[in-house]
Amino acid sequence: MTDFRQIENNLKKEAKRLLEAGEVAVVLAYGRGYDEKHPMPFAAKAIAHVESLVFNEYCNFNMARYLMRYPWGTKIAIAAKAADSRAIIQLVQEEKVRREDLVIMGIPAYGMKNQKTNEVIDSKTTGGLYNPVIYDILLGEEIHGQKIISPYEVLAEYEAMDKEERWAFWKKEFDKCIRCYACRKACPMCYCDPCFIDQNKPRWADKAPQSPGNMMYHLTRFHHLAGRCIDCGECSRACPVDIPLYLFHKKVAKECEEMFGQAAGMKLEDKPALVDFRVEDSDKILE
Amino acid sequence: MSFEPKILGIACNWCTYTGADLAGTTRLHYPQNLRVVRVMCSSRINPSFIFRAFQLGADGVLVGGCHPGDCHYNTGNLYARRRLAVTKKILEFAGLEPGRFRVEWISASEGNKFAEVVQEFTAQIKELGPQQKLKIEQLQEKA
Repeated sequence: MTDFRQIENNLKKEAKRLLEAGEVAVVLAYGRGYDEKHPMPFAAKAIAHVESLVFNEYCNFNMARYLMRYPWGTKIAIAAKAADSRAIIQLVQEEKVRREDLVIMGIPAYGMKNQKTNEVIDSKTTGGLYNPVIYDILLGEEIHGQKIISPYEVLAEYEAMDKEERWAFWKKEFDKCIRCYACRKACPMCYCDPCFIDQNKPRWADKAPQSPGNMMYHLTRFHHLAGRCIDCGECSRACPVDIPLYLFHKKVAKECEEMFGQAAGMKLEDKPALVDFRVEDSDKILE
Repeated sequence: MSFEPKILGIACNWCTYTGADLAGTTRLHYPQNLRVVRVMCSSRINPSFIFRAFQLGADGVLVGGCHPGDCHYNTGNLYARRRLAVTKKILEFAGLEPGRFRVEWISASEGNKFAEVVQEFTAQIKELGPQQKLKIEQLQEKA
């Protein structure tokens, strides 16, 4: 198991050091919630706040979500697990944040758990990674020798389904949607203002939480995140009605990786797959 | 009465639309099920257009653009190719029949190809039958 206590102590130590030295204006990490099982995203802005920082197996929020609240030039320290670090890279690629504004505190972690179901989420998210892709400071020891779970393993069952069966499955799932937009709010890549679903002209979809509008909202959202989704699984964890959104995102990510030969958020110098092209792309991808 | 599908055609102004024009002036016959919408470039096509067309009752969607490398705006259709490939994969994974959405590169001089593609695609959609999955339910009752 990852030594969560050690990471927590290191997190406090580093946060204190950075704030004291004035190197950063804010530390984005996890704070105490109403019990141990419910930590909260937390922005420490003063040394007095540092004591409230925590880290345990339920700290699975993607803190990259909160980076865009601060204007360019604000120095930010951010706690980032494997998937979170990919989100940061993706945001840097999209020029929403600048690398030089960030101090990335990498957290190698496995054995993270879902707050609601208590199950270990490593197989569902993290994209098969345990160590952050990019970091300035590492808060724990790098993890080696753990079983690497292929991020796309969970898809096999759904890919094998007949199309009618798959349609019935997704129809049932999307019919549950209450359109609270928690998935959009939790997603580090959903930053459009206004979101296409909030537009009135043109009105892309019905706003009532009913089948056709839900389908339109989710399919378009999957499309907008194609080649950008970094597989943190926050959307499905944030969902109050437990729609397995991560499955569809994974499928699209897999197809993008196969077609365009790059995974989202792995290299700072890449461009997001859909705002880039290669002359030698094959027409086969359209079949 | 036999099933007459409604097919949305989205055609690029410089190649496919002109190709369709050529098919007309050379008096080629092709099915009248296609309703063509002209856009300035295939990369103008927002994927939501396609999802929305299916919701509003299209049985098939045919997108036409210039051949890769021939785009009037140099690179438009190269972006569109990637984007529409993703659209296709999404529709497929959601459970829609993959044959209902098709992208074809048709240049301004290929009136013949345009007629052929439309014939072929219409026949294919006729075989697949009416599209009921994404169609909005109120519309289904009226039909």
